[in-house]
Amino acid sequence: MKKLWVFFGLVFLCPSGPSVAEDGNQVKEPTFQVPYRLTQTQHILVRAKINGKGPFNFIIDTGAPALFVATAVAQKLGVEPDPDMWGVFDRFEIEGGVVLPKTRGRIETPFQLEGMNGLGLAGAELHGIIGYNLLAKFRLEFDFTKDKMNWTQLKYEPPPPQGLGGKGTASGGLDALGSIMKFMGALIGKRAEPALNYRGFLGVELADVDGGVEIKAVLANSPADKAGFKAGDRISHCQDKAVASQAVLLQLVSAVRAGQTARFKITRDASAQEIRVKLGEGL
Amino acid sequence: MARRIFLASVSTAFLAATLAGTGGWSTAFGTEVDKPIPEKVPFELLKTMHMAIQIKINGKGPYRVIFDTGAPVMLLNTKVARESGVLGKNAKPSLFSIWGNMGQVKIKDLEIAGLKVEDVPVIVLDHPTVELLNKFLGPIEGIIGFPFFARYRMTLDYQARELTFVANGFEPPDAMQNLTKMVMALADENPKPITLAPAAQWGMMLAKEKDDVKPGISIKEVLPESAAAQAGVKPGDRMLTLDGRWTDTLADAFLASEKVKPGTAARVVIQRAGKEIEITVKPRSGL
Repeated sequence: MKKLWVFFGLVFLCPSGPSVAEDGNQVKEPTFQVPYRLTQTQHILVRAKINGKGPFNFIIDTGAPALFVATAVAQKLGVEPDPDMWGVFDRFEIEGGVVLPKTRGRIETPFQLEGMNGLGLAGAELHGIIGYNLLAKFRLEFDFTKDKMNWTQLKYEPPPPQGLGGKGTASGGLDALGSIMKFMGALIGKRAEPALNYRGFLGVELADVDGGVEIKAVLANSPADKAGFKAGDRISHCQDKAVASQAVLLQLVSAVRAGQTARFKITRDASAQEIRVKLGEGL
Repeated sequence: MARRIFLASVSTAFLAATLAGTGGWSTAFGTEVDKPIPEKVPFELLKTMHMAIQIKINGKGPYRVIFDTGAPVMLLNTKVARESGVLGKNAKPSLFSIWGNMGQVKIKDLEIAGLKVEDVPVIVLDHPTVELLNKFLGPIEGIIGFPFFARYRMTLDYQARELTFVANGFEPPDAMQNLTKMVMALADENPKPITLAPAAQWGMMLAKEKDDVKPGISIKEVLPESAAAQAGVKPGDRMLTLDGRWTDTLADAFLASEKVKPGTAARVVIQRAGKEIEITVKPRSGL
């Protein structure tokens, strides 16, 4: 109840009031392409480095009045909250090139994050929320058919958030939910992070040709080169399954990790042969 | 000293409330989107810095609601849900309770300025945070979130106090259904491993030692004649970003490479001899 959303507002009621740059159109405002991902919970997640550490995961949320950085993260960074639970982050960098010096944010772990992290709901650990005081410095473009957002930096100093002036807890007792979710998470057992595998590297350039896949080129010194693949070879099978197209081949090879052996059947000069090759690790 | 209240993120909160909810929500999404031209929607910035907009439901209204990018579902209070016919006369609203059941109904016609959408899923709920906002800054009747705005390319401009929408054909997945799946998956102790696979062939081998905490990843080998080699990437380079994404770990680099299709030009930022240089690589079809 007590803690999270209540604080003393005096420090914060900036006497100068909102200052709006009226003539920001003269200079071209920089636009950043910010990679994001949509979590399983339909939250927009971006990554940020704070004071060179990280990356940390943040949710883009206009429902939050400010930047929130989880207490544990601030501790790790050595940023101390003031008595009103605000902190200043010397360098706040968002993936895609946005760099903000001396950024103010709340140092606390909103119950929503605690809850979602407790259950592993978002599919990634969440370290904070990016809200109004930071978002308002940009014109933001959201488009879920693309894999990046556009953030255009405005010449605009947003007015600071103000409180409601009332008493009690703003979340209406909801902060208890965070703890409940965390508790449930403990009961159910937090979902283990799925292991990450890397598909192996072969070293062949491919082309789709009538009903099959042809090797256009073999990179020198690659696993494919060492195993004897040649340009012009037709790949007919991979892992004992027929290969009709590059898409099928990529799908079949995706099961073979770096360091594992893949089996191919190829046709060269009208004769079939099998090639086994240990895949490398690379792009 | 006056006590001040800050409302944060009304959004993620009620996910909790859905945890115990069982079944019943429908999956079909109306994808009717009318106008392909940009539609401007002015918003009001409340004292709490929430955005408020005006909506019409089934021709009734206007109603004042919060617009929230952090809300994976939409909310409407009981009063307006009944008035606008979203909730039938005899239907019972959802109870706000973490253990309670919570259903999703549909708004048949939702209008926001010149935008009209049909069959938008909404939860009818007197949510405590929304009630509180309503009490202090009301009327506030609900929350517009992801199920609406995901259908558009949306621009948010606090300075101009304006939202701009252009239909983009995206069909938002159902948050409630996803959540049900996720809760089921929580019981799964052995999640399936995820395989990261580059979408195209670059021709470079990467290495990151365990005790290496510096930004980026080392390029230990560049295959001759490969896309990376032709673009000028050299062994010993430190790759900081690939296609605008940080590459501080092998997983990061692979994830970034999953997004770059063969033949597209991708920016790679390299650190070489203390300098940062940008190289454009066109990875090829292959593996």
